[in-house]
Amino acid sequence: MVKIIKLEKRIESFQLDIKGLFLQDKKVHGLIGNNGSGKSTLIKLITGLMRPDKGTIDLGGIRSRDITFTTQRPYMLHDTVYHNLIYPLKIRNQMPSKYDIGKWLEQCGLTGKEQQYAPSLSSGERQKLSFARALIFKPKLVFIDETMANMDLESIRVFESIITNIQKEDPITWVIVSHQPAHIYNLCQEVHMMEAGSHLFSGTPKETGYFMRERHEKQWSY
Amino acid sequence: MLVLSNFHLNLSHETLETIWLTMKLGFVSTFLSSLFGIPLGLLLERRDFFGKKIILRINRTLMGFPPVVVGLMVYLLLMRRGPFGELSLLFSFAAMVIAQLFIITPIVSGMVCTAAKNAAPEIRTFAISMNASRSQTFFLLIKEMKHDIYFALATSFGRSISEVGAVMIVGGNIQYKTRTMTTAISLMRNKGDYSEAITLGVVLLILSFCIQTLMDTLKRYENNGENY
Repeated sequence: MVKIIKLEKRIESFQLDIKGLFLQDKKVHGLIGNNGSGKSTLIKLITGLMRPDKGTIDLGGIRSRDITFTTQRPYMLHDTVYHNLIYPLKIRNQMPSKYDIGKWLEQCGLTGKEQQYAPSLSSGERQKLSFARALIFKPKLVFIDETMANMDLESIRVFESIITNIQKEDPITWVIVSHQPAHIYNLCQEVHMMEAGSHLFSGTPKETGYFMRERHEKQWSY
Repeated sequence: MLVLSNFHLNLSHETLETIWLTMKLGFVSTFLSSLFGIPLGLLLERRDFFGKKIILRINRTLMGFPPVVVGLMVYLLLMRRGPFGELSLLFSFAAMVIAQLFIITPIVSGMVCTAAKNAAPEIRTFAISMNASRSQTFFLLIKEMKHDIYFALATSFGRSISEVGAVMIVGGNIQYKTRTMTTAISLMRNKGDYSEAITLGVVLLILSFCIQTLMDTLKRYENNGENY
């Protein structure tokens, strides 16, 4: 289990302050909250992109090299689709298997585009390639930071089916940041809500729905 | 008119030697300055350390520093009574390379630093997402910024072959030893040998044109490869 305890980080006027947040292993977690609530900062702290001012992040035995993340605007290497896809394997001195590469390319609808210059792909294709690239080395903890925000419905379905298949075969821990309730309800087993830099609530998608409705009613009853 | 009517492309043994020495000086100086300039440029972009702003300012100042002054400084360092006089490097190829290092390295580091400010944060975030090691991240940065680096090196090479003041002071314009195209042109003009001077001038012009073409090609290639 990933344990985040008494985590603090100050960035100019923004203060992230999380008393305690726990991510159970091999589950799909949703991270929700308004813009500026600290979701991306939290991910940056867990993945090592930023250092916390205070507090601890216990990865529960997951090695840092088994953690990865995808972003809304993925970076494409100035190289072919194939070389982009195998990059994480290459830096781990692993031989890419033809079967795996074929499988990922097919799942992401990129079959036949192996030799295409990756930065020339459409934004949706780049998202899919970045997703495949993040998963090809079989990480244990994956953060998806609004990767699905600008995708068409079919691409979203592809993503969802990949996540569902992985969870059936060899489950890993996912943290999905999304503003779209549909993603959360379809995929996540646990939802964590952030507000103004703090962790507000954790529960199942259903419980989160009730919690949000209650809050909404309270706000409007005054 | 008289000068032009007497001009014919005269590639004598001496001229060819001069061209070869200039090219060799350009390549050696650019290669050595890249060894210092590229890591320094990346370091200045990345690390926040005490005195970074001052170093950046000095680097920018050196980018436009008059080569004659650099030549004079290197001369004072290498002269027989200077701190490195015992090495007997003055009026040698090595002395010219040293002078050019002071002129070119700030150009390489400055250009790499500016390019890295735009490109490196994104590349570094990607490298972290892939759990690349420090050395893997460094080589990835070099690979991904290769067009910016080629551009910086081409500019430096151009500066190197067209430089006259510093190499004249520390090289001494010695035939077959330290005579470059620019110092040769200066000498030919003094001697009134305009034909030879024009020949070298034309070769230098062609070289500059080739470098400019290379840089334009790199720019175009980079624009085509941008993410849209």
